[in-house]
Amino acid sequence: MAATSTAAPGARIPAHVPPELVYYAGITEGAEFLAAPHRFMAELHDKAPPIFFSPSEHSHAAWQLLKYDDAFFVLRHPEFFTAAGTGPFPRDPDDYWRIIPLEIEPPEHRKYRAIVDPLVSPKTIGTLEVSIRRLANELIDGFIDKGECEFAKDFGRPLPVGVFLDIMGLPRSMMDEFVRWAMGLLHAQDRAIAGEVMAEVTAYLQTVIKEKAAAPDGGAVSAIVHGRPGGEEMSSKEIFGFVFFLFIAGLDTVFATLNNIFVWLAENPDRRQEILSEPDNINNVVEELLRVFTVTFSGRTLTQDFELRGIQMKKGDRVTSILPSCNYDPDIFPDPQTVDFHRPRKPTLAFAGGVHSCMGAHLARLEIKVCIEEFLRRIPEFTLTPGTAISYWPGGVVGPKSVPLSWK
Amino acid sequence: MAVVTYVEQGGARHDVVVPDGDSVMQGAINNGVEGIAAECGGGLACATCHCYVDDAWIARVAAPSETEIEMLDAVAADRRAGSRLSCQIAIDDSLDGLVVHLPEKQY
Repeated sequence: MAATSTAAPGARIPAHVPPELVYYAGITEGAEFLAAPHRFMAELHDKAPPIFFSPSEHSHAAWQLLKYDDAFFVLRHPEFFTAAGTGPFPRDPDDYWRIIPLEIEPPEHRKYRAIVDPLVSPKTIGTLEVSIRRLANELIDGFIDKGECEFAKDFGRPLPVGVFLDIMGLPRSMMDEFVRWAMGLLHAQDRAIAGEVMAEVTAYLQTVIKEKAAAPDGGAVSAIVHGRPGGEEMSSKEIFGFVFFLFIAGLDTVFATLNNIFVWLAENPDRRQEILSEPDNINNVVEELLRVFTVTFSGRTLTQDFELRGIQMKKGDRVTSILPSCNYDPDIFPDPQTVDFHRPRKPTLAFAGGVHSCMGAHLARLEIKVCIEEFLRRIPEFTLTPGTAISYWPGGVVGPKSVPLSWK
Repeated sequence: MAVVTYVEQGGARHDVVVPDGDSVMQGAINNGVEGIAAECGGGLACATCHCYVDDAWIARVAAPSETEIEMLDAVAADRRAGSRLSCQIAIDDSLDGLVVHLPEKQY
């Protein structure tokens, strides 16, 4: 398997990286990726070495992992592969704050995670089903008679934002602002806009943190403000880092996942029929769609020199698990590009793994389940609006920019 | 409510009072019993809360779902007759005295 060394401009390859392992795939930014990102990441198994070193994927030179077993190994060994300092948001080194709990490793990690665990447990999340279903139907009410919608804007965006506001204990009246912030911070592709939005978000979250400190409620912001990891109060920076993390983690991922899924549903009427004809299989449907439409990557940094799959890596090297590719690993999921709702259930990397496994996973699964059920129930027949060409956002959350749907 | 006994590989026993409706997994996590990882937090999605239900209790615990049986293929330690994912065993009075053995590894 020949690796290409088409390095990105200005790339610096560390001396310990063997030249044959340098490979620039263009993940999240190349034309081939952007044309069909999930197929591209599935087919990387045939094109690239299982571990390669990319000069610039996701803006950092890093080792890239394609294999399911390697990704789980890295995610389950935070003592070698730390998440500290890997958060994808620019922070002032003189006023640094940690993204919590992602950038905190065991044993401290559990103390922080325990603060929000009760709010995102399967049991608690299950109690939200009725309100999520209601919100989904309200959104559908808004466009069903028009015979068309821009799914991403009319449904994929507001649904997770509304649910998120409820969980956080923030008013639904903030919906439009949050939608705008999520877009500006995550998809503006412009550092100046991202910076302005970041300042607005920061100011708002700081105000909310103060309000919840004075008047506790049952929401996640309040739980964090009043949380006492290990019995100690958190600093204001820690509280901010925790609340901010839920903001960035909770909004774009479900948005992108829903949009990916609805493009696929629009293009596969027979599979919609299959889903409708087997309502009891919906959880397997969700799990399989999460496998084939995994939207994120996990970045880590080596705390010491380490050998993985025979490759010598050095302390300080960055390592990225290409989770979407890992979920197409043919050694784990035979015929990986086939969407099979009766595939024997196995753990996937849709929500990463290890101690930093996505805490919103149960919520995400429920939102996706309810959205598929309600949309297909009320609008069983739909297509991509004729003339639509789907294009994808570059960046670390993989999904289409818009999803125009039409029905009769 | 039930008292559940978690038995470590080395034989150390932990008796934990677990409230009704909580899972055997939560009983361990919430009381500092090590040996249950539960990465996914109870979603039947990670196979890292594996335990062995004691032989005397296997027939008294509700049978696993089809999905749990499939996920048990993914456990890291030996799969045995009493193998269960502890997040799927919900506690009620009938399980008072339940004994589960912890596996040598979860991944």
